Amino acid sequence: MFEFLVRRVVISIVTLFVISLVVFTGVRMIPGDPARVMAGTDADEAGLEEIREKYGLKDPVPVQYLRWVGLALGGDLGESIRTRQSVAWTVAQKLPITIQLAGFAVLIAVAIAIPAGVLAAVRRNSIWDLLASGLSLCGVSVPNFWLGIMLILLVSVRLGWLPASGFVPFWEDPLGNLQRMIMPAFVLGTALAAVLMRQTRNSMIEVLSADYIRTARAKGLAGRAVIFRHAIRNGLIPVVTILGLQMGALMGGAVVTEQIFVVPGFGRLIVEAVFTRDYPLVQGVVLITASAYVLINLLVDVSYSLLNPRIRIRGAAGES
Amino acid sequence: MSLDASRGTATAEALPLATAAAAPTGRLRRGWRRMVRRPASVAGCIVVLIFVTMAIGAPWIATTDPLRTDWGKIRKAPTWANPFGTDDLGRDTLSRVVWGSRISMQAGVFSILLAMVMGVPIGLVAGYYRGALDQLIMRLTDAWLAFPFLILAIGLVTIMGPSLTNATLAIGLGATPTYIRLTRGLALSTKEEDYVLAARALGAGDVRLMRRHVFPNIFSALLVQATVSIPTAVIAEAILSFLGLGVQPPAPSWGTMLNAAQQFLESAPWMAYWPGLAIFSLALSFNLAGDGLRDLLDPKDY
Repeated sequence: MFEFLVRRVVISIVTLFVISLVVFTGVRMIPGDPARVMAGTDADEAGLEEIREKYGLKDPVPVQYLRWVGLALGGDLGESIRTRQSVAWTVAQKLPITIQLAGFAVLIAVAIAIPAGVLAAVRRNSIWDLLASGLSLCGVSVPNFWLGIMLILLVSVRLGWLPASGFVPFWEDPLGNLQRMIMPAFVLGTALAAVLMRQTRNSMIEVLSADYIRTARAKGLAGRAVIFRHAIRNGLIPVVTILGLQMGALMGGAVVTEQIFVVPGFGRLIVEAVFTRDYPLVQGVVLITASAYVLINLLVDVSYSLLNPRIRIRGAAGES
Repeated sequence: MSLDASRGTATAEALPLATAAAAPTGRLRRGWRRMVRRPASVAGCIVVLIFVTMAIGAPWIATTDPLRTDWGKIRKAPTWANPFGTDDLGRDTLSRVVWGSRISMQAGVFSILLAMVMGVPIGLVAGYYRGALDQLIMRLTDAWLAFPFLILAIGLVTIMGPSLTNATLAIGLGATPTYIRLTRGLALSTKEEDYVLAARALGAGDVRLMRRHVFPNIFSALLVQATVSIPTAVIAEAILSFLGLGVQPPAPSWGTMLNAAQQFLESAPWMAYWPGLAIFSLALSFNLAGDGLRDLLDPKDY
């Protein structure tokens, strides 16, 4: 148990180290003089020299890397070229909005996918199963930004039920916030719901054919009790893993969704940063996203290894 | 360019059929019967073929120049002359949708080919040799997977600049770790099979074993994976172009078309219908075809 935890944490630290190397190298691959990149276009030679001194660009590359990692660990990710505000602060401003959006999206996805997946598995090959599989296939295939545009067209432009875009903080106007969040959250949650539904169905089918389910049935438990008390608990374990692994796709989806619904979150920030060539900001955002992904998946693995002794033994027995 | 792309898929599709034909024909016939029982998959294959034809035959199918602007026909609703309407610069939407299939197919097929060309050998080596090399490769793959595809693409495009080639590269790089993992897993189980052990006993070297014995036997699984990753890659290209990070205007990409359409939802909704519908139906039919292909090639029941 303890060994498994240590192993998992060490692997995550190695992964984070590689990520930091990649991000550091990536920014150095930008063509041109980094000092000029940081200074922007309107800087003279003296100004460039000053920047080189200030950021230690004359030091050997490994020294630069160590300094950069040291600062990043302390929460200092440099400052935005455009606004001159610290990257960490800028991201911290935008992050809660995206977390709210992603949280809603996960809620919507889970609320649709789990009941539908369980139903499809229990009534296998029925019309419900067919319907759920068909919807899941559509959910994977539909480009979510197009779904968003179509929803705006239908719900906002034609029907006028909800505002098409914008954002108000929850504590200022809870209803207005929800009105503006529901469509983007639904759009962001669609692909996730499709993936989760398929996983729930498959793992429930597997669990329902297991021996202990037959035992539970044989001892006379009602069908419903077997499903709710015995099957779902085990059937949902792989679903949680998939949910963790889907976090990357969710973050990517948030970028697009925020763009369509003009939600001023993390995703809009990164697209803006790319177009304004705000390299420190892009670097910071990429680093934070990748690290968050690693940490979330570490938490997922650790938390369910605590819940299920079988997994932690199998996990320790040596997968990759 | 797109001619090459279609040729690539054609040979790729011919290969597993050849290997399957070498197997007992009963298996092939059973697979075929299974596939015919799934009319949705057959329909998916047909729609994929229609899109392939559209991509290759764009100059003959869409005779209106997709780039020709016409100030007299700005955002006109669908008519006989322009069945899908015209866009904000008076260009024919139908023609742009047809030409857009070229870009989508190109991005979808080439990026996945790239991912396979890079991922499969790495995965083979990792799964075949195991040990420290395997550990190293898998740790790097973990780190690679931690970059959400879109974030990775954004990073790469920031460094290299936006274009179709760079978008394709970014999508391919994003898909590579999936192929490393899949190939490694398959290689691990295949290399213990009797026929591989037999070939080894006959003195076959590592490279020969991997190329002649392990790879052909995992190819069908890789092909199924490719069929389901192409739609994801197609959508990814559309997303990048929609955000302005992929194909640049005035080239007719479905993503850039939707970007323009977004500003005219009230006055010209047809600008948004068709490119999106094209992406959706291409992705859906690839997914359906992939399901059918899995049934056809995999003797296991799903």
